[in-house]
Amino acid sequence: MMTDILKRLPAGTSLAMPLGLVALLLLLSAVFSPQLFTIDGIAGAILVSAPLIVAAMAITPIAMAGRGGVDLSIGPLIGFINVTIVAWLQPHGFGTPVMVFAYAMLAACAWYALLATVITIVRVSPIIVMLAGYMVLAGLDLVILPRPSGSAPEWLGDWGFGTEIFSPVLAILLISGFAWGLLRSTALFDNIELLGADERTAYTAGLATDRVRLAAYVVGGLLAAMAAICQTAVIGSGDPTQGNRITLQAITALVLGGTALSGGRGSATGSALGAIAMFLISNLLSSFNFGAMSGFITQAVYGLVLVLTLLATLIRFRSKPVKGASDGRS
Amino acid sequence: MAVHETIPGVTRPFPLAWNLEHKGVVFGAAILIALCLAGAVLVPGFLSGSNIRSILLLAAFLGLAAMGQTFVALLGGLDLSIPFVIGSANIGLAALLGAGVPALPAIVLIVLVGAGVGLLNALLSFSLQNQALIVSLGVGFTLVGLSQVLTSIGNAYGGNVMGAVPALLAHISAANGTTFGLPVPPVVLIWVCATIAVSFLMRRSRIGRGFYAVGGNRIAAARLSISAFRYWIYAYCLSGALAATTGILLLGFSGGGFVGVGDSYLFTTIAAVVLGGTSLLGGAGGSTQTVIGVLVLQVLTSLLVGLGFSFAAQQVVFGLMIVPMVAIYARSPEIRLQI
Repeated sequence: MMTDILKRLPAGTSLAMPLGLVALLLLLSAVFSPQLFTIDGIAGAILVSAPLIVAAMAITPIAMAGRGGVDLSIGPLIGFINVTIVAWLQPHGFGTPVMVFAYAMLAACAWYALLATVITIVRVSPIIVMLAGYMVLAGLDLVILPRPSGSAPEWLGDWGFGTEIFSPVLAILLISGFAWGLLRSTALFDNIELLGADERTAYTAGLATDRVRLAAYVVGGLLAAMAAICQTAVIGSGDPTQGNRITLQAITALVLGGTALSGGRGSATGSALGAIAMFLISNLLSSFNFGAMSGFITQAVYGLVLVLTLLATLIRFRSKPVKGASDGRS
Repeated sequence: MAVHETIPGVTRPFPLAWNLEHKGVVFGAAILIALCLAGAVLVPGFLSGSNIRSILLLAAFLGLAAMGQTFVALLGGLDLSIPFVIGSANIGLAALLGAGVPALPAIVLIVLVGAGVGLLNALLSFSLQNQALIVSLGVGFTLVGLSQVLTSIGNAYGGNVMGAVPALLAHISAANGTTFGLPVPPVVLIWVCATIAVSFLMRRSRIGRGFYAVGGNRIAAARLSISAFRYWIYAYCLSGALAATTGILLLGFSGGGFVGVGDSYLFTTIAAVVLGGTSLLGGAGGSTQTVIGVLVLQVLTSLLVGLGFSFAAQQVVFGLMIVPMVAIYARSPEIRLQI
């Protein structure tokens, strides 16, 4: 019975669009920014794009779990783990690799378990819970560390030199991707898709909807912890002001990758490709000499690419009779 | 069941609709009064004229922007382009004035551009149902990037635009401004009048009721020949125009164009809307409710500032308030009751 329901779900996310976008951008980069394809260029690219790639992957299962769960709190959460590693763990001698990884995973999973529990018990829409979470964490980050300062544990800061391609940051990326691949083959993954596509059907089919939502969020938490560690390695210090930027960019990458914000289908590979596309855009634009304007142009191009990608999905799904129909949250 | 309730002449003392629509208002007003009392006791000078005036002034800016967000939220959408429209209008007007364009045409042009951005939001997000959040974000990014590029051509300070602000505009938004001899800045009066007019129209006019019809049940609205598409356009155009207006008024307040002036409005407009009691799912709430949300936010800000809270700590308190407040009126039924 479960397989019948799954067959009627919208077809799995197509990676054609994000792949095409990345291929096009790589082609443009080869022409205008060939230094990207040197050893140093690739090593730097992996390092700089890693936090966004993993952050975009982290919010994928959460969006897939449905009810319009766009995780606004991802940026401030990454900021929170970053500033607490620098301001709390490091000065008290807890900056060892084991402690840092354990702490980051525990903190991120606890945060998402909290969000899922509030969404389940209080029954207000996820976007409101995540908005509240955004404000609480963004505020806390600044209370803990009022301005960018401090330094990351030495071993973690060393990751951030980016002189070799096979760095620990690449290992984190590969392990995250591998873990996602494993997740895809489990029943939990199917259950998350079902929950997001139609919660009522999932419930009547006997799914423990609350537990599946909790699991989806905790999976997101594990990835968010990795994103926070990558971010700390890249900046090598504590920065409480990055939350807004990371949230907006991660959501953009998620959508570029083809994950539906309405839930039910999504692909962490797509999100990662979306994040890579965003890195390539900013890298490409920085190779032109726009001077003081380059930041503005990058922002405008992000926006344009986002809107155009969304319009492209419109053409792809035009045959679907969606307009005005029940959207699963009524 | 419905048969019993529609017997002519028989009205229930407290219809369900009254409860739903007013529980948030009553509770919000109670919180507002409690906050004022707490401020009066804890912070010296809290109820002084100058403090009340500054609360109202900041509330007027937030209130105008949040009014636009309310229209959109009533239909079940979201407009995340508001802060970017505010920032773009702010530097756009400063640049136009700096280029020697007379104030009135410049202001009209900026408001029209704001409405145009809203139209774009409406067209895109209506075609892409359930993606309003990300669509308006994309439009906002594009807009703020382009407007900065345009205003920084031939100008070394991107993001900041200096220029002489017309005296009238500065007067409208001045903290110590007066209106017809009253010690209230004119912008507050503009906000109050706009709110009263809009609230009346939303309650009494055909178009106003149409917002609730479309937001409540789009299929039912379509059966009544109410076009969801048209209302989608109304809501986003109003939101864009109001955001542009807020950006213009903020230029009068600050005296210099700064693109980041709208940034703090990204989530506070949504917070004001949900604190007031407008459901983000559409169909319930309204601009009167949003006024309460705006006032709660601003009075609480003033109280927390008076108590020595930093901006960051204020944000934590706001965040902690949102879920309990929303839980009072916007809980969805349990899943087993939705089948």
